[in-house]
Amino acid sequence: MTLTAFPPPPPGADYNELRQEVRAFLAEELADFPPEKRAKSWNGFSRDFSRKLAQRGWVGMTFPKEYGGHARSALERYVVSEELLAAGAPVISHWIADRQSGPLILAKGTEDQKRRIVPRIAAGELCFCIGMSEPDSGSDLAATRTIATEVEGGFRINGTKVWTTYAHVADYMILFCRTGKSDDRHGGMSQFLIDLKATPNIRISPIIDMGGEHHFNQVIFDDTFLPSDALLGEQGEGWSQVMSELAFERSGPERFLSSFALIEELIRLLRKEATEAQQAEIGRLSAHLMVLRQMSRSVAGMLNEGKNPALQAAIVKDLGALYEQDIPRLARSLVSRPAVPGGRDSYAAVLAYTELAVPSFSLRGGTREILRGIIARGLGLR
Amino acid sequence: MESMIHDMAERLFRNHVSHRLREDAAAGQCPEALWTLIEEAGLTMAMVPEEAGGFGVPAAEALGLVRISGAHGLPLPLAETLIANAVLASAGLAPPGGRLTIAEGAALRLERRGAAIHIRGPLTLVPFARWADRIVTVAALDGTDHVLSLPVKDLALAPGHDLAGMPRDDAEVDLALTEADARPLPRSIGGMRELGALIRSLAMAGAMETIVKMSVEYANDRVQFGRPIGKFQAIQHYLATMAGETAASRTAAEMAADSYDTPAFALTVAAAKSRSGEAAEKVGALAHQVHGAIGYTQEHALHHFTKRIWSWRDEFGTELDWTTELGRAALSSPRDTFWHFITDSTAQGTPA
Repeated sequence: MTLTAFPPPPPGADYNELRQEVRAFLAEELADFPPEKRAKSWNGFSRDFSRKLAQRGWVGMTFPKEYGGHARSALERYVVSEELLAAGAPVISHWIADRQSGPLILAKGTEDQKRRIVPRIAAGELCFCIGMSEPDSGSDLAATRTIATEVEGGFRINGTKVWTTYAHVADYMILFCRTGKSDDRHGGMSQFLIDLKATPNIRISPIIDMGGEHHFNQVIFDDTFLPSDALLGEQGEGWSQVMSELAFERSGPERFLSSFALIEELIRLLRKEATEAQQAEIGRLSAHLMVLRQMSRSVAGMLNEGKNPALQAAIVKDLGALYEQDIPRLARSLVSRPAVPGGRDSYAAVLAYTELAVPSFSLRGGTREILRGIIARGLGLR
Repeated sequence: MESMIHDMAERLFRNHVSHRLREDAAAGQCPEALWTLIEEAGLTMAMVPEEAGGFGVPAAEALGLVRISGAHGLPLPLAETLIANAVLASAGLAPPGGRLTIAEGAALRLERRGAAIHIRGPLTLVPFARWADRIVTVAALDGTDHVLSLPVKDLALAPGHDLAGMPRDDAEVDLALTEADARPLPRSIGGMRELGALIRSLAMAGAMETIVKMSVEYANDRVQFGRPIGKFQAIQHYLATMAGETAASRTAAEMAADSYDTPAFALTVAAAKSRSGEAAEKVGALAHQVHGAIGYTQEHALHHFTKRIWSWRDEFGTELDWTTELGRAALSSPRDTFWHFITDSTAQGTPA
């Protein structure tokens, strides 16, 4: 049964020297970065931080050198990613581009697209967002209605995208939409690379989340003209292109480290004194984390070998979200301190932030229900 | 992992370990003929170095046999014999052949009497003791761990069994061993508790893979309300949950097996045993829910596997034992942060 087998990451995947360099960099850069900001995890935004990280060669690490990358392995990138997340560094400005948009452009883009865009991603200069969900198309991505109609010299786009994370600051969007009719539910879809700063007739308005934060946006395309060279990959191949991104999107350490700031706060309190029952709960939390990390590193190893471990990635994301979401409950069962939004006590402030963040963890990047359906089919259910 | 020895074991167990064989074993009948085939295939000597007469299969690969035997619900002490032979060889003792088993020796008292070592004390819930020729254990003498090879015929046994009906016997030890059966361990390869926890984690992972497979087949075959029950989202989600828990268990157990004989062993075993034990509860419960009433009967094979994982989770340290140990290590770690503890706990060391 291959679905439950996660081969170990290749020997030497610790990259200890690199890890220590990243730790030293973060200790300096984030010396005054408080726990309540670290709690935002990979939702923290700082163009300045992303640029500095890129100067060290830690953005676009796996990209070829000719496109400004560093030709390093997926496992080296993994080390940098998990160190950033564990420290709660503000990474979202480059995160999506580095994780999936850059690799997608490299795999499917034209030479011109690669030369124009990829070196700027690797320089930490470009923020990407992803235009997938719509008001009537959430988990059911094939129900996408946004349509690109061919016109002279390009396409006209009409439709609405929602939950588009950081569209209000992003430089580029990778849009998923319909380009034609097809009998196949998954046919007639394409992807476009859109320069958000230079394209007229795109309306971006905020959707404030229940925690009061502005990550989401609604993006309306109103007869928006895109030149032909905005098409990314093959026309009509959008569905399979999106599916090949998913293993990158779903298996990384951001799928189980989103509540890590709360874990560090909790352990800081328990280090002084802990009962056996508290020790046991921390032991359980540690065991789960060690194992999730091993599974996630295993998927990174498979990606590095050019495999498409989409099913294993779905398992990592499902288990990872359960873990991240359970941390506030666990903290409450071990320490009796109320959550206080913006509180002076950093534990109380981090608990409050995390508590309001966790419901989204099993929604974003594929809901729990979608993932479990994928896993069940992978098991051979007819 | 492509492995000839795995393929061989898989074939052997598929052909010989039947529902009937497991039933008979649970009723007290040791499957002697199958044991002979296992020994002839050399499986028991896989972890013994070539210079000591074994096959010197790398530990991680040899330990894969334990997962495979778990996947078949093998009612014989292959895992125990594999480990016992490896421990004996590491102390320079010749593997004696025959069925061996292992036990935690912490309650034994050792005393030097002339050239012999006198050993006294209880061994509890020893797996397959009454079917074994020897119990291999580790206990301290003058602050040094010694490997002891105890002939079962010289021990007083009180028979018992686990949930799956497999022998779990208490033994009272009161005998003297010469240098031929008692040797200091030159280096620590982990105590019998760690090694026992390792093989139980691997066996649980294998058994859970079988349980998932049986559950998927049942969900495809069983028709209610005019369609296979696997068409219902509720059932699909149970199966997906079982697969996730099983994958986590296998990853955890293999992570521990990969760190066999390295400094990371103690912590990875603690993680493996507690993680797979926790999974055993969920996977067992959901498998029975998927199978409905038929899975709750003696005639259906499911119980051989669920009973085994529920027994194994308690052996060689319960989840509470291992999580407490791991948590204590995490909270008292001299590392700067919890994160550093986590990365160091599984570190493979600097690549060569």
